[in-house]
Amino acid sequence: MTDIPEDEAASGSQTGNHPAPPPLPENPIDATQTHVVAEFKHDIPLTTCRIDPTGTFVFAGAEDFHVYRWNVSGDDTSKTIFAGHQSWVRSLDFSRDGKLLFTAGYDHRIGVWNTADAAPKPINMIDAHKGWVRWVRVSPDGKLLASCGNDNLIKLWSIPDGTLQQEFVGHDRYPYAAVFHPNGKRLASFDLMGVIKDWDIETGKEVRSTEAKFMWGFDQKFRADMGGARDMRFSEDGKTLIIAGLTEVTNAFAGVHKPMLLLVDWKKFEHRHKWKDDAYKGMVWGVCEHPGGFLVASGAPQSGNKGMLWFLKPGEDKPFHSVQLSHCARGLDITPNKRQLAVPQFDGKLCVYQMTAPHKAV
Amino acid sequence: MQREFGCNHIDHEISRRSFVAGSATGAAAVGGLLTPAQAKTLKSGQKRILQIFLQGGVSQFESWDPKPGTKYGGPFRSIPTSVPGTHICELLPHTAKRMHLLSIVRSVDLKTNDHRIGRLRLEKGRMAGEFPYIGAVASKYLAPPNPPLPGYLHISTRGIEDNTNAFLNAQHAQLKLLGVNAPENLARPAGIDEEVAQRRNEFRRLANERFAGRGGQPAFTEAFDSSFEMARRLMKRKSLFEQEPSAKDVERYGSHPFGVRCILARELLNNGATCVKVTHHGYDTHAENFNFHLEQLDEFDKTFCMLLDDLHDSGMLESTLVNVYSEFGRTPKLNQRYGRDHWGASFSVAMGGCGIVPGAVVGSTNADGTEVAEREVGGGHLFHTYLQALGVDTSQDHDIPGRPVPIGDPSVAPIEELLA
Repeated sequence: MTDIPEDEAASGSQTGNHPAPPPLPENPIDATQTHVVAEFKHDIPLTTCRIDPTGTFVFAGAEDFHVYRWNVSGDDTSKTIFAGHQSWVRSLDFSRDGKLLFTAGYDHRIGVWNTADAAPKPINMIDAHKGWVRWVRVSPDGKLLASCGNDNLIKLWSIPDGTLQQEFVGHDRYPYAAVFHPNGKRLASFDLMGVIKDWDIETGKEVRSTEAKFMWGFDQKFRADMGGARDMRFSEDGKTLIIAGLTEVTNAFAGVHKPMLLLVDWKKFEHRHKWKDDAYKGMVWGVCEHPGGFLVASGAPQSGNKGMLWFLKPGEDKPFHSVQLSHCARGLDITPNKRQLAVPQFDGKLCVYQMTAPHKAV
Repeated sequence: MQREFGCNHIDHEISRRSFVAGSATGAAAVGGLLTPAQAKTLKSGQKRILQIFLQGGVSQFESWDPKPGTKYGGPFRSIPTSVPGTHICELLPHTAKRMHLLSIVRSVDLKTNDHRIGRLRLEKGRMAGEFPYIGAVASKYLAPPNPPLPGYLHISTRGIEDNTNAFLNAQHAQLKLLGVNAPENLARPAGIDEEVAQRRNEFRRLANERFAGRGGQPAFTEAFDSSFEMARRLMKRKSLFEQEPSAKDVERYGSHPFGVRCILARELLNNGATCVKVTHHGYDTHAENFNFHLEQLDEFDKTFCMLLDDLHDSGMLESTLVNVYSEFGRTPKLNQRYGRDHWGASFSVAMGGCGIVPGAVVGSTNADGTEVAEREVGGGHLFHTYLQALGVDTSQDHDIPGRPVPIGDPSVAPIEELLA
């Protein structure tokens, strides 16, 4: 992917009639030089985002029930609408070849779409759960789609025909996220109460269960539970489960809590490291692992509009770098070449950041 | 706590006919399965109020006035109800099946976003001033002489204390019950038997008479008398608080605090209470509005409907006004915490039962729910409506010597189209 000069890409402008400049050599990854290279605008708050496996498109859900597609490069800022859900979409994933998009809808359905269609229409709308579908993820071999929903179930669907293959029963409260282990044999899930489960894909049986109760809070005054994962991923080597959310809920109804990342040692099935930002009241909404040996997380504050990108080395308590966002983050994804990040925001903007030094304008 | 799941598409296919058929057994109950307490209460001809207060401000979008697919509509869908053409939020699937027993007012504007002021305007039916709450007025005008229970009972675990009876006699003040526990000190002290207790009461009565005979203001002793009388009635009905709810009731209503409080509310109404208010806390959702409404309304919906069914099936709904309300609604615009803030400018209440036209929807909000579009009403209109539905002429003055005080705000009128 070609780097975009900052002063051009940030505005999404074209090079006009000037001849295209010769390709520039890629700057090395340097997270401390992270800067905006593209910005896409929508007039409704965004709910999530993902970048397709080819790194061509970035997709975002919005509170108007639709999913939108932009070109990651920012060369073309026009958007393509994916209309078909009757409620918000909070989770997205792709087939391994990137040709199919799967959308998890709060209208209880999973949408299946052709990723690159010029005028997208759903190929299939699966009545998937009784209640919101909170999460979808495709298996490493690309043959299965996992979903979880407000019926407390995790379900496996075959790709591409969308038939139900397996149901995992065991969560007592809403599972917020479910992700496949890179070995393709196990699946991890995380629920409202901070319960982590390890499932056997083939048998549908629960293998292990543990808790991260510090990522849940019960508000005694209002008698309500607050918790759950806002993002969850395995490290590429499969050794670590990374869970993004909140901790230290002191007032659930005012959203007073701190952002938290939990790293779970998958082999031992125990907490390896807990990271929270004591100086920042809010939530972690997205997390990605970078092969350069660090994590990137995005967050939203309890008040004010300054979202945050944190760059962290696993095991360390302080970020080695942070970037203030123009508004609250609602997720995070990383391009396949691991050079760029996409962040959907509450103000409707979707910003693409590059983790290198900016190229100087030629 | 286990939550009930969202409804599926089949659940949305509701018809009034199917509900009526389903409640045929309930109708039979009117004929022959009433408890002695219910039979006695029904025979008395007394009218009463059940108030369900959703404390903190339930979102009108997530309850009675859904706006799916609009700018501020949020993620929930609307579902059809047993009243053709009337839709409510999908978080109320049980209520939707009973909508023909209820009516909705979607055009309430209380001119405030303050918890306390909103609550006072609804309870007193006045914009300001010291006036009695609806429950206190009901106690004064609907309770029989020597009622078996205090006239105005409020089941809650917290809330701001207030002068609920204002200038009415202290016997009409709210008695707050802390959950389902009996009020404190209900048991007679050890060593004082019935005879001694009666002699003590007689002595107190004589002392009061002597005080009055020497020119003492009766108001000074009335308040004490009321407290003693209230305590005496409650002591006689102590068993209401001591009996464990049946397994069947717990299964139907739920084992959560709101469930068991509604079971107690039913028993209090069955045993002659005039106004019972049950507060369900937890709607002040400045963050995570949708996740919290999933939880709170899941608790409310089925439990409320079980109570509504029991009143309906026993025949008591005809003489019981049911009122579901909050001190305000919630902002159309979502904040960055997925919360909705305080909004008194355009929200909804629901009511049904005694004297109320069932299945009606009064008023409306504009497309985005940001303001009332038609038939704006305030706390005064609702106050008149509730009490006139119960047969209280709110255009009259309170019977206070030397102080003609209109029962309802004379500057506003009841919502006539809701009065049966």
